[in-house]
Amino acid sequence: MAGAVAITGVGQVTALGGDVTALTAGLAEGRCGIGPLTLFAHRGRAAIAAQVPELPPTAVSGARRLSRSDRFALVATAEACRMAGLDAALRADAALVVGATTGGMFETEEAYRRWRAGEHRRVRLSLFLGMPLSTVGAAVGQGLGMFGPRATVSTACSSGALAITTAAGMVQRGEAPVAIALGVDTLCRLTYAGFDALQALDAEACRPFDATRRGLSLGEGAGVVILERVDHAHARGARIRALLLGSAVTADAHHVTAPHPQGSGALAAMRSALAAAGVAPEAVDYVNAHGSGTRHNDDVEVAALREVFGARLPRLPVSSTKSQVGHCLAAAGAVEAVATVVALTDGILPPTVTLRTPEPTWADLDFVPSAGRRAPLGIAVSSSYGFGGHNVTLVLARPEVRT
Amino acid sequence: MTPVAVTGIGVLSAFGIGVGPFWDGLLSGRSGLTPGGPGGALAGIVDGLELRDFVRTPGGRRIDHASLMALAASRLALADARIDDAALDPARTGLTIGSSLGNLRETPPFLDRVFEKGAGNPLVFPNMVMNAPLSYVSIELGVTGPTAMVTEVEVSGESAIAWGARTVADGAADVCVAGAVDEIADVLFAVLGESGGLTRDVPRPLDRASDGRALGEGAAMLVLEPRARAMARGARVYAEIVPHPGFSVPAPVHGHPRDADAIARRLRPLVADADLVVAGASGLPALDAVEAAAIARATAGRRVAVTAPRGAIGDFGAAGALGVAAAALAIHTQRVPPTAGTRPPAREGLDVVAGAARAEPVGVAVVSAIGRGGICRPVRVVRSSP
Repeated sequence: MAGAVAITGVGQVTALGGDVTALTAGLAEGRCGIGPLTLFAHRGRAAIAAQVPELPPTAVSGARRLSRSDRFALVATAEACRMAGLDAALRADAALVVGATTGGMFETEEAYRRWRAGEHRRVRLSLFLGMPLSTVGAAVGQGLGMFGPRATVSTACSSGALAITTAAGMVQRGEAPVAIALGVDTLCRLTYAGFDALQALDAEACRPFDATRRGLSLGEGAGVVILERVDHAHARGARIRALLLGSAVTADAHHVTAPHPQGSGALAAMRSALAAAGVAPEAVDYVNAHGSGTRHNDDVEVAALREVFGARLPRLPVSSTKSQVGHCLAAAGAVEAVATVVALTDGILPPTVTLRTPEPTWADLDFVPSAGRRAPLGIAVSSSYGFGGHNVTLVLARPEVRT
Repeated sequence: MTPVAVTGIGVLSAFGIGVGPFWDGLLSGRSGLTPGGPGGALAGIVDGLELRDFVRTPGGRRIDHASLMALAASRLALADARIDDAALDPARTGLTIGSSLGNLRETPPFLDRVFEKGAGNPLVFPNMVMNAPLSYVSIELGVTGPTAMVTEVEVSGESAIAWGARTVADGAADVCVAGAVDEIADVLFAVLGESGGLTRDVPRPLDRASDGRALGEGAAMLVLEPRARAMARGARVYAEIVPHPGFSVPAPVHGHPRDADAIARRLRPLVADADLVVAGASGLPALDAVEAAAIARATAGRRVAVTAPRGAIGDFGAAGALGVAAAALAIHTQRVPPTAGTRPPAREGLDVVAGAARAEPVGVAVVSAIGRGGICRPVRVVRSSP
C-alpha cells in the first residue's frame, strides 16, 4: 500500500471506558483495566481479564437481539462517525471492514450449553443467529446505514490491523469515498479456556517486557478508525487527526500458535511498512508494540525491533497498551491504532503500566513504565501479530508530517 | 490494472475430489447429494479425503477437516496450474481463504469439555481459531506474502476470490491461491433442523415449488496470477477474474435482503454483457425469490442463461467459490451445466438451464452472490482476450 490516507475519526470501547475520552484519560493516568473475570465462571489457572464494565447503550432499534460484540462495535463505530462528521449520505456510501475472531460466540456457547444441559427441549435457532462472524458487519452496516462494500477478515490477533490496511486500500483505489475499519471481540469461554489450556494466561495482570512476565491477560472491546483520501477530507472540511502513511501484511509460514523464532515475518512486516510509508527507521518517534506479555512474543518482538531500529532503539519509546486494556484479540490492532492516534494528537506516550522489573538484557530500553508521558510525537509504528503467524504493521503520523 | 488469470482449479465436492469429478458431475445434471446426514438427511458430503495425501509437515498431523479440505484444494489447484509449490517465491505468493463457519466438527466436543471439566483441550484449541485453515495452508505451502482469512456467510467464497484477485491486480503478489472451505457437521443439522429451511424433498434452486435447501460441504481454491505471467510461462488460462469490491443493501441483520430492486440497480452494470449468471440459489425460498427477482430486473428482459450449483452440491458458505470455479469452467469449455432438481418454468421466467448441459458461447459469467445481512459480492469472470 503506497500513499498516505487520512484518519478523520476514531472510536473505542475497552475496559478503560466506552469512548476515546476515557481511553485518553486512561493512557495519561496509567490506569490498568485488568481485574476479576465476572462475565462467566472459569475454573483454571487464571480468572482475571480486562472486561468492559457495563454494556454500553446503543442507539439503534432491535439492539436487544444483538450480541455483546455487535453492541461494542455499534457504540465504537457511532463514536468514530460522530468525530469524523459522517452524515447519513457519507455513511451510505462508506465501506465497512470488520476484523473479528469470535463474534457472537459468547451468546452461542451459552445457548449451546443450555441445549446440552436439557434446559431447552429443542434447539432454538434464534439463539444461534449471531454466531457467523460477519453478523457484526451486518449489525453495524444496517444499524448505521452503511451500504458500500463490506468485508470481514479474521487473522486472529492481527484482524483489527488487517481491517485497517484493507480499508485504506479501498479508499486509495476509489472503491469507496470513506472506509470504516473496525476490530471487535468479546471475552468468551471458548477463547478463555483455550488460552488457559495453552498456558498462555498470566494469573496476575499481564506484564509485557517485564522480567517476571508469565503470559497475557485477555481483554475485550472494539476499536474503530475512519479512513478517507486526504483530498476528500480537505474537500469536505473534515479535521485530519492523523495519517496512515503505510502498512504491510506478511505471514510466518511457521507454526499454528507460536511466532517464528527469529521473528522473520514480524521483521518483514515492519520493514515493508516503513518502506511503503517512505519513512526511515530513524524518523520513528514511538512504537506501539504487540507486547502480549508472553515470554516468547516479547523475546521475538524485542529482537525484531533491535534488528530494525538498531543502536537507536534505547532512545525510541516502545510500549504495550495490552498492559492497560488486555489482549483484545481481533480488537487489539484497532484499539492500539486508536491509542496510537491519541498519542500523536495529544502528545502522550502510552505507558506499559504493569512494568516493574525490566528484563536485564533490555535495561537500556524505554518501555514507558507506570504512566503516560508528555512528548511531542510525529511518526509512530503499531504492530500486531496473530496466531498462525499473520503479521501486520501500520505506520501512523501527525498530519503536519506530510503537509 | 493487471488482468488476473485463473490458471489452476482445485475442488472438493459431493462429486468427489478434484476438478474433473466436480465438472463432470455438474454437467451430467445428476445430484451429488446422498442420504448421508443424521437420520438419513440429504447432504453433500466430501468422501475419501486422506490426510497423508496432502499433509507434509509434522505440525500438520493435527489438522482439522475444514483446513484439510482447504489444503487439498490448494495443492490440487497448484498441480492443475502446473506450479510446483517448492518453486513458489514465498514473499511474492499470497493466500486468501474464505469460510462462513470455520471448524464446526471440533467445536462442540471442545465446548463440552469446557462445560464439564472447566478446561479446554490444548491440542485442539489451535484448530478452533477461525483462521486455522489459513495457518495450516500457509505453513504447508510456505507462503509468506499477503494472507487473509475472510468470512461473509453464504458469500464467503466470492469474497475470498475477489480478495485474491485484488491482491494480484494490485501487484502485491505474483501468484495468489484463493478460495474457500466450509464443512458439514451434525451440530448444524441439530441447529437448523427445525426452522433452518432444510428441504423435505430435494433442493430445487430457482424452482417455484422448492421447499428448502440441503446442507453440503466442500472447498474450491483457484490459482490466480497476472495474465502476462501466465502467458509467459505458457500456462492454460481458464478465464480471468475482474475484481469488484461488492456492495450492501438494506436487510435484516440476521436475514436475507427483501428489496430486489435495491440489488438489481447495483447488479445491472455488472451483468449488462453477461452470457451466464451462476446463482447462489440453494432452494431456500426466501433467498431464491429475491435473487431471481434481482437477476430478472438487472438483466431487464434480456435472455441470460442461469445455473445454480448448490442444487447438486448442497448449501454451504464456501459454495460460491465452487460457483466461481464453475463460471471459469463454463467459459473454458463453452458449456453450461444444468441445475440439479429444478424444473422449468423457473422463478421470474428466468432461463434456468435444467435437465441437460447446454453448449453455448460464454464470454462473460457473473456469480451473483447475495448474503444474509445484506452483503452482495458479485464476481465477474470473463474470457481471456490477450
